[in-house]
Amino acid sequence: MASTEELLEAYTEWRARSNANPRLTKMLKGWDRVIHFTTTDTGQGYTMRVEGQQLSELAVGHEGQPDVVVTGTSEDFCDMYWGDLNPSEKYMSGEITLAGSQQDVMRIDAISMVAFLDI
Amino acid sequence: MAELERECEVVVVGAGYSGLAAARDLARSAVDVLVLDARHRVGGRSFTDVTPAGFTIDRGGQWIGPTQDHLAALAAELGVGTFPTYTTGQGVELRDGRRELYVGLIPTSDPHGAADGIAAMLDLDLAAFEVPLDAPWEAPDAAALDAQTLATWFDAHLGSASARAILEVAVKAVFGTGSGELSLLFALFYLHAGGGLTNLARSTGGAQERRFAGGSQQLAQGMADELGDRVILGAPAESVAHGPDGVLVGGRLVDPGADPADPSSAHRPLRVRARRAIFAMAPGLCGRLAYTPALPGRRDQLCQRMPMGAVTKVHVNYDAPFWREDGLNGQIVAPGAAMSATFDNSPEDGSHGEIVGFIAGDECRRLEGAGAEVRRELVLADLERAFGPRARTPVEVVEQHWLAEPFTRGGPVAVSSPGALTALGPALREPVGPLHWAGTETATEWCGYLDGALSSGRRAADEVLRALKGEPGGLD
Repeated sequence: MASTEELLEAYTEWRARSNANPRLTKMLKGWDRVIHFTTTDTGQGYTMRVEGQQLSELAVGHEGQPDVVVTGTSEDFCDMYWGDLNPSEKYMSGEITLAGSQQDVMRIDAISMVAFLDI
Repeated sequence: MAELERECEVVVVGAGYSGLAAARDLARSAVDVLVLDARHRVGGRSFTDVTPAGFTIDRGGQWIGPTQDHLAALAAELGVGTFPTYTTGQGVELRDGRRELYVGLIPTSDPHGAADGIAAMLDLDLAAFEVPLDAPWEAPDAAALDAQTLATWFDAHLGSASARAILEVAVKAVFGTGSGELSLLFALFYLHAGGGLTNLARSTGGAQERRFAGGSQQLAQGMADELGDRVILGAPAESVAHGPDGVLVGGRLVDPGADPADPSSAHRPLRVRARRAIFAMAPGLCGRLAYTPALPGRRDQLCQRMPMGAVTKVHVNYDAPFWREDGLNGQIVAPGAAMSATFDNSPEDGSHGEIVGFIAGDECRRLEGAGAEVRRELVLADLERAFGPRARTPVEVVEQHWLAEPFTRGGPVAVSSPGALTALGPALREPVGPLHWAGTETATEWCGYLDGALSSGRRAADEVLRALKGEPGGLD
């Protein structure tokens, strides 16, 4: 299990790298969304916003009405943010789930894979 | 031999999923319906068979995925179970003499290329969702999109050669053609109809998610069983006379055991008179029938300009799914290889191993004349590179060469060449007098898939029911 401090530290790294990646920010064009993360092991909620082609800081707790809800273990989220885990593998095995409109799910799936591969 | 004459209210030509779904809806509405199929079996592009070694295989369409609701409902109604496609472990990428393992949707040996490919797939899918499913020819910029091929779009949007090679593998597996053969507008429509290329390429969560225990043809057989002797097999239709008074379909009733594709086979002439007809076949096959009077030019041109893709489905059976022991999921992506995409197609209980793969597009056409031995050698050489020496000694290799199937002439689906949809698209479903058009190619959701075949048949049945109600002496 990863603590909120550990998760925030990993996310901060991931966010900085993502926001500096031109391919990734291009994929965020016209896609301002609220994304909720829920950890299945620690039962903690987090909120990320996409605004103006940039990822926000990760807020602790669920804020606002989510467009996409991402569910998984705190460990997997941490590994994903550190770039050690291919999120695509976890979607396919069902260990990370995405809920939202088909197009939003498709977009976050693609974005998270590009963030893994391209940074 | 004496001519066989039958009369009914509606004759359906083609006993694939589409024709059977249409006929079943009509029969349930108390319409007197007859279904003709050229082959001695039902199912069309769904064909479950037992191989010489005794394994049950699906020679044609076989998968069911999320949102294929027509297919799921039919399977549930008929009590046909499904099980997940085996995806545990790593896939193998064979390229330029190298072997790399990967997890997830696409090979990642070139991470930046893979990222380029994923970004392009997203762009393509977002563009696809802009194309209206019921009338792609009314998309914004339809004419410009229809004047290009998918290859042109790749040229403009894909910087990475490795990503291009991977996406070409996906395109070939989905359409049975290269990207240069596809109208961009058609490709976008088709992707939208199936939830996007990402969705079509996926197993878990996508189009290849599950299979039918015992094979997909059971669903066709289940519909046929309900229709009973309303289904006439070994009955290739050849001519269609039509007018305000109805339709006369002429053909042959071939003796059981005789080859329906051979005109000299023992047969009786067959004539079926009906008020309306549904043709549940790909446009290219519809275009091969002799119509009197001739079809309107737009409909005939559409039939000429929606060629079938080209695919040979290859089943390689082993005594066990041995690749699983090495942590492999049976998927191979091999740009440029004869068989460029494979899946683990073993039965649910893993009692034997089956790799299924597709020789598609130009490779299919190029290797058609080479002979089965040459294709077998190419296939086994690549399987050995991917899975090791055990792959060299299968129990059997069974090909289904859809390109040469007389009553299909290609597969998995008909595609549209540039310019055809904008010029002729409405002719895809527009009835010609008493003649109605079904088949998965006419579907607006899951076009090209088993699910689309079902919905297209049901749409055509509904069209016919409404038409019959509006006619003198029609239904109440």
